[in-house]
Amino acid sequence: MKRRTFFQTAAGAGLALGTNAAPLLTHLDAFSDPGRLSHVEARHYVKLPDREIECRLCPRNCRLGDKERGYCGVRENVGGVYHTLVYAKVCALNNDPIEKKPFFHFLPGTSALSLATAGCNVNCKFCQNWEISQVRPEQVRNIDLPPRDAADLALRHRSPSIAYTYSEPVVFFEYMMDTAAVSRSRGLRNVVVTGGYINPEPLAELLRAVDAVKVDLKGFNEKFYAEYVRGRLGPVLEAIKLIARSRTWLEIVYLVIPGLNDDRDEIRRMSRWLVREAGPDVPLHFSRFHPMYLMKNLPSTPLSTLESARSVALSEGLRYVYIGNVPGHEAENTVCPSCGRVVIRRVGFQVKDNELQSGRCRFCRHPIPGVWT
Amino acid sequence: MMPPSRVVSVKAGNIIGRDGAVDPKRVRLALEAGLAALAEAPGIREALDRLFKRDERFGIKINTIAGPALSTLPETSLPLARLLLESRLAPKSVVIWDRTNRELRDAGYTLNLGSSGPSVLGTDTEGFGYERELVSHKNIGSLFSTILSRRVTSSISLAILKDHGLAGVTGGMKNYFGAVHNPNKYHDTGCDPFVAELFETDEIRSRHRLTILDALVVQFHRGPSHHPRWAKKLETFLFSLDPVAADSAGWSVIERLRARAGLPSLEEEGREPTYLRTAEKMGLGVARSDGIRLVEIEV
Repeated sequence: MKRRTFFQTAAGAGLALGTNAAPLLTHLDAFSDPGRLSHVEARHYVKLPDREIECRLCPRNCRLGDKERGYCGVRENVGGVYHTLVYAKVCALNNDPIEKKPFFHFLPGTSALSLATAGCNVNCKFCQNWEISQVRPEQVRNIDLPPRDAADLALRHRSPSIAYTYSEPVVFFEYMMDTAAVSRSRGLRNVVVTGGYINPEPLAELLRAVDAVKVDLKGFNEKFYAEYVRGRLGPVLEAIKLIARSRTWLEIVYLVIPGLNDDRDEIRRMSRWLVREAGPDVPLHFSRFHPMYLMKNLPSTPLSTLESARSVALSEGLRYVYIGNVPGHEAENTVCPSCGRVVIRRVGFQVKDNELQSGRCRFCRHPIPGVWT
Repeated sequence: MMPPSRVVSVKAGNIIGRDGAVDPKRVRLALEAGLAALAEAPGIREALDRLFKRDERFGIKINTIAGPALSTLPETSLPLARLLLESRLAPKSVVIWDRTNRELRDAGYTLNLGSSGPSVLGTDTEGFGYERELVSHKNIGSLFSTILSRRVTSSISLAILKDHGLAGVTGGMKNYFGAVHNPNKYHDTGCDPFVAELFETDEIRSRHRLTILDALVVQFHRGPSHHPRWAKKLETFLFSLDPVAADSAGWSVIERLRARAGLPSLEEEGREPTYLRTAEKMGLGVARSDGIRLVEIEV
């Protein structure tokens, strides 16, 4: 969707819907409830004297007086009780290929019912979805999509999974948790696309409820996080470690921004850290940056920079390193690290060939890590 | 040219009645006295002539986030709007505005989109909303209220002076957080440098003419929410053409009240409003107390 079109629908007045918009829209008209916000008590906060509260969901730990909202803009202190304003208030909904998240080692070739509410707990200057992530829920049109209806919708569209994505699912934690529970009971999987800016306790809870997490690792130094993300790197690394030690599948995306986070030494340090803390089998996607939001002054990432980053990561021992946002590039394919044959061939978000058999390379029987069925 | 760092403090006794109601007639008296003193004019007509240009479209940005107990009330903003409408300035329009119609109603306003009297409306009024093009300036990236960008050529920040848990003090400059779609993104690091940088945007700086701080009741601790235990009836307005000096003078008021109540200073609590010094460094006004001349009058 073109930026302008997306903006006019999502932040202006409408709802962000993708390629399968027509059938979803027809179905969702019944749920349409624009303008109203939810007032469901939030989880992971503590009550303080004088009607103040402290949110414990993310590392910001916002301390708020009555009537104030957190940094995310979607959680509000109402008389000393912390409310989520976006429970079941969906502002973006698509039936996406799971490769678009991207997940390359999780049910390849399937679709994921992908949804988001408004809000985010960081403010990346290069945000690709700022029209929904950097706004308040009353500034977009929302539909009411309770957990059970989200599961119904996924089943109706033959999507084996629900993806919490686009904005920052951490900020709609309660809705995500309830939807994951309902949909899992009906045989669906749940995947999360997140910046990983979440405290350990809610993350541990989340990991018990979902099947895969993709973390956007936005850089590998604190200065970059402070200046361009408005967050801290440390908690994100802790989150990655926690996910890697869980049973939940993990993939990492690193958006390579020219001149800002593309230093080869830094990418080398990041790759070494990933090998050590998440293991050599964690898929790493180097994604191409396009000028957006507050960083329109930079060029798109040169292909050579992406290829260089990939080369560094492979040399450090990571086995599955991909290049994203470059449709048709050979680094979209999954290559068997044992025999060197392509086991999953992709073009853009489409899987063209899948040579895996029971999670093994068809040619040499080498196991390929992932969730394949 | 008037000294830019002068702050006029007007104390209006009995402006708040025993029942807690604000007397709009006393408000008008206080406004007239404050504006005349600020302009060093013999009367309100001459003062307005000196302070503003003719044929402007005035916007009075109020603050209604905290409900009726701690918001800019109609009894305060309407007399100001009427002063402008009755003046020789022949304003094309006067609009009293804030973020949302809900907050305006909660603070006691009757919305007015009609042609008579001052308009009263929130940015979420149908047909208004936020601009679609981002304004990017230093650390600021925001969509501005179209009320400000399209309806207002001359802006008055009529703000509540109060303690703020994160910023230390909230006053006339921070009041403009309510002019953008994403104020929640500007509360990090004591709102510094965000308050100053937002004010520095062309959208605000080119329109801002005057700060009036409503210190009728001052929440000097545990703000910005209302807690009667730490709220003091001062029955005072502060006026300044210098937005930084106005807020700095307001900060002094809060510190005095805190000291009287035996509370630590904001600096001792690690939340002094550092954004004021930042604003001064950026050339937006004077933050140093020795650079501000306070004129105190009573009506």
